[in-house]
Amino acid sequence: MSITAETAKQHANDPAVLCCRAEAGTELTPANFEDPAIFPDLVDSGLLNLDGALTIGQVLNGSKLTKTVDSLTPVTADIVDKFDAAEGGADEAPAAEEAAAPAVAAPAAAVAAPAVGGVINLHIGEGKDINIQIPAGIGGGAVAAAPGAAVAAVPAAAGAAPAAAEETGEAVVVREMTRKHYKIDKVVLGDETKIEGTTLYVRKEAATEGADAQKLVHSLELDVITPDDYHVYSETVMDIQPIATKEGDDELGEGVTRVLDGVVMMVTGITEEGVQVGEFGSSEGYIDENMMWGRPGAVDKGEIIIRAHAVIDNKKNMERPGPIAIHTAVDHVTQEIRNAMKKQLDDSQVVDTQVMKQVRRPGKKKIVIVKEIMGQGAMHDNFLFPTEPVGVLGAKPNVDLGNVPVAANPLEVMDGCIHALTCIGPASKEMSRHYWREPLVYEAIHDDDVDLVGVIFVGSPQANTDKFYVSRRLGQMVESMNVDGAFVTTEGFGNNHVDFTSHIEQIGKRGVPVVGFSFCAVQGALVTGNKYCDAMIDNNKSMSGIENEVLACNTLCHEDAIRGLAMLKAKMAGESIKAPERNYTHSVKENNVDLIEKAYGTKMELVDNEQALPMSEKRKAKYD
Amino acid sequence: MENIQMLLKQGAVGKPCEAIVKKGDKVKRGQLIATPTGLGANVHSSVSGEVVEVNDEMIVIKPAAKQPKTFVKIKKGSNLEMIKEAGIIGQGGAGFPTFIKIYNGKEDKPVLDHGYILVNASECEPGLAHNIQQIDEDPASLLRGVHYLMEIAGADKGIIAIKKKHRETIEKLDALLKDDPAIERHLLPDIYPMGEERAVVRECLGIELEPDKLPSAANAVVINSETVYSCVAAIEDQKPLIDKWITVRGMIKGGNEAHVFENVPVGTSVQTLIDRAGGFDERGYGEIIMGGAFTGKATTLDAPITKATGALLVTREFRDLHGAKVGILVCACGGNLERMEDLVKKYNGTVQHVCYCKQAQEMPNGTRKCERPGNCPGQVQNNLDFKKAGCEYIIIGNCSDCSNTVMASGPKMGLKVMHMTDLAMMAVGHPLYRTLRVSKQVSQDLNVVDNVEDNETVQ
Repeated sequence: MSITAETAKQHANDPAVLCCRAEAGTELTPANFEDPAIFPDLVDSGLLNLDGALTIGQVLNGSKLTKTVDSLTPVTADIVDKFDAAEGGADEAPAAEEAAAPAVAAPAAAVAAPAVGGVINLHIGEGKDINIQIPAGIGGGAVAAAPGAAVAAVPAAAGAAPAAAEETGEAVVVREMTRKHYKIDKVVLGDETKIEGTTLYVRKEAATEGADAQKLVHSLELDVITPDDYHVYSETVMDIQPIATKEGDDELGEGVTRVLDGVVMMVTGITEEGVQVGEFGSSEGYIDENMMWGRPGAVDKGEIIIRAHAVIDNKKNMERPGPIAIHTAVDHVTQEIRNAMKKQLDDSQVVDTQVMKQVRRPGKKKIVIVKEIMGQGAMHDNFLFPTEPVGVLGAKPNVDLGNVPVAANPLEVMDGCIHALTCIGPASKEMSRHYWREPLVYEAIHDDDVDLVGVIFVGSPQANTDKFYVSRRLGQMVESMNVDGAFVTTEGFGNNHVDFTSHIEQIGKRGVPVVGFSFCAVQGALVTGNKYCDAMIDNNKSMSGIENEVLACNTLCHEDAIRGLAMLKAKMAGESIKAPERNYTHSVKENNVDLIEKAYGTKMELVDNEQALPMSEKRKAKYD
Repeated sequence: MENIQMLLKQGAVGKPCEAIVKKGDKVKRGQLIATPTGLGANVHSSVSGEVVEVNDEMIVIKPAAKQPKTFVKIKKGSNLEMIKEAGIIGQGGAGFPTFIKIYNGKEDKPVLDHGYILVNASECEPGLAHNIQQIDEDPASLLRGVHYLMEIAGADKGIIAIKKKHRETIEKLDALLKDDPAIERHLLPDIYPMGEERAVVRECLGIELEPDKLPSAANAVVINSETVYSCVAAIEDQKPLIDKWITVRGMIKGGNEAHVFENVPVGTSVQTLIDRAGGFDERGYGEIIMGGAFTGKATTLDAPITKATGALLVTREFRDLHGAKVGILVCACGGNLERMEDLVKKYNGTVQHVCYCKQAQEMPNGTRKCERPGNCPGQVQNNLDFKKAGCEYIIIGNCSDCSNTVMASGPKMGLKVMHMTDLAMMAVGHPLYRTLRVSKQVSQDLNVVDNVEDNETVQ
């Protein structure tokens, strides 16, 4: 489509291509040019060859066509009477430093929905200004992969030359919280719930009681999976939870939290018919083949797993009461352990004490972390602010709260203020333990260059009207915080990307630089986008860029958090962020990690992906 | 002779008139039979006979066996009064009452300030011939009419906009214009939509009007050539607007040449005119379009022509798309969404996706007007959307320039492009609207050949 003078200015360094037939003698104006935003699609589909094309900026200075040419003809030197010399800018790299630290990001990417007849079909119920660009598989070829999101490197200045001028003082500790760790190296199911030494005894009947209290839960069974027994079959994992309790009347995020090391709760569930309680993939299979060990949300290798397996009414797997009933039943068991922890543990058994501090850094760039959590219903829900870490009692489901943004402080987040009923996609969903160990919150609070003001949770409702409702509220909330930058993270992919990108837009249009985090890669490329989605961190770790049903494989890890912080700092410093290649490639991340290592003089350890696990039959058959 | 149906609403705009005759009344040709109730113009009987029915839509008159050549004259008055009395409405499009166009109710301040009367003689819709034939037969009356209108509207200048391809007619005009310095002619290229009101203003005066602006914003009144003749008849002969010039063309027995019928009584049925032209071609036909192929609508055999009707086009038989997925590109130049959907249905296609041309601005009344008629804003984005939506075919109603742009990418993407005018164009032997190989600019010198390329090459 023809473009406006403003768009022409923005794209001054992009190729000039005629949108329509133009006759010899025509003086070129913005109305003559096709919008460069759609060129990638056209090039991909063989409709456009940009070789030798002059830029828009070069031919807007009174250049006239010397030849009559048709629509989609690139303006080349041989068809205009004159053109300006190419500007410096992009090509000539004005400063070595800048060139050494390009920030890279994904623009609005496209979705890879089921391809039918070489065309991607995409449905968005309702929305405004949603621009979707999908290579249309023209010419019978395969559907081009959607653009991948990418990452930025920090300007060298971020570490080396901090702007000292605005610093007004030392870091201020707003509040503290203590985590006392207790070691467990043996779990026994028995007649009583108690802790003796490093052995945790769990009363088997507690599970039956938990199930009995929930009409929809037919049965809840416990078993213990030890590290030498990880090659055991499991139904899909609904959640991984730390076992922790508050000391005395301490509130979440304050005082003392007692946590058991070496053991986690694992919730699994199926319906009577055997349907997995999951959506868009499920992680059932041998645990050692389907658990991405060590991810913030997953089990660490060497930990004992208490598996609570629930069977619920048919058809309740995709209705809200089903997953809620399972989690509530399981929490009956966990609460009994928590009660034992309160009574039977004392400081002599503490193996490690962690003092966690929420610090503010006046004078530093103020940033906020927005975490989009699922709120579509069924298992796509989260209990917010329970009384106990990752508990149920006292919490409110964010679906019931209307998914509106809710503020939390970093310590609340890491004290289990989110009990996750989780999202679609085993590989990308953030389970309860993820928040307990949230890497972005952790890295941001420990980054001396930024002042983390807090964390906002915002639900992702089902209906698009509701999505835009909550994202407008979010924008207003962020505006009132007066921050210099913001992160927006999401879990899963697809439906939630509609509000994810809308959140970014609502914040971005208020002049606040935003960096987004999501699994995108090949399979989860954004379904929508806007001009503020220019800085993205792709959480993908999988080799093929897909939802590979390996639990927590593609969730946000420390390496992503570091990349995100680098990118946000670059963006806040006014650095431009380079667009990624059109198709997803690992090299964007690799290049950025490289740049970060150079800029900071550190070595980044990158986590393993599914390739480090024994190959499962399912993965072999479906993915790799 | 069949019954004549005089619609109470003769044009697309305005309110229906109120009948002032009743069933059983005897009426004479030229007699006033309905008067406006709001925006509208008088309706006169086009035949002598007896009123056999009056309903909400029309007055039906059974003609007497013997029809007079004469008519009941309108009463004498000022030129403007006679144009109003004669019930003249625009004969090039929506049928806007002419006297309102040229008079604003202020005796001392005419609608134009030393402005322009622009005569639209572009005969823009492809395949039509009656406008040019009328000018060719009697160019002098047209010029007299322009002077009448200039005087009423307060214009200093008249410009006749005509396509350069009508060389013989232009030469006749030029011979008269030599001695008439107040009127000149402006030559137009043979592309669609040169006759769009604002395109005429742009071509003649170089002023690009916003879609919501009337030509008066450019100090001009645009008036169709046949309407000028009606004004001349009203002023000089006291004749109400009761007869029409009609082009009948297409799948007609004996060939696809244009049949131009002069002075067809308003209210004559489609069937009668088809019969007069020779009847349908035995190969069958698809639909009958009342009006031009771009802006006209499908009609039925019993429908009457109105004062605003210019043509009946009989199209080729519908093609059968066997339910294929079709994308509709709606623009302001061709049919609206309803018309396009109707065509897809007739072709046995399934509407899969609808796009709108970027320039097709929706007006408060729901119609669309093009921001820059005849100058394309680019169409490749729409084609991408159609492709994405899974369309196999697309149907467009775009102007020459936009059709060309659609063709630049559509077929390469594998989209099969149809133009809404295709079946009519095939029927009248006109090149299909696909690519554009002629210049949008023509020299005003009749002897300069503008370009050598030819749209005929494309099918």
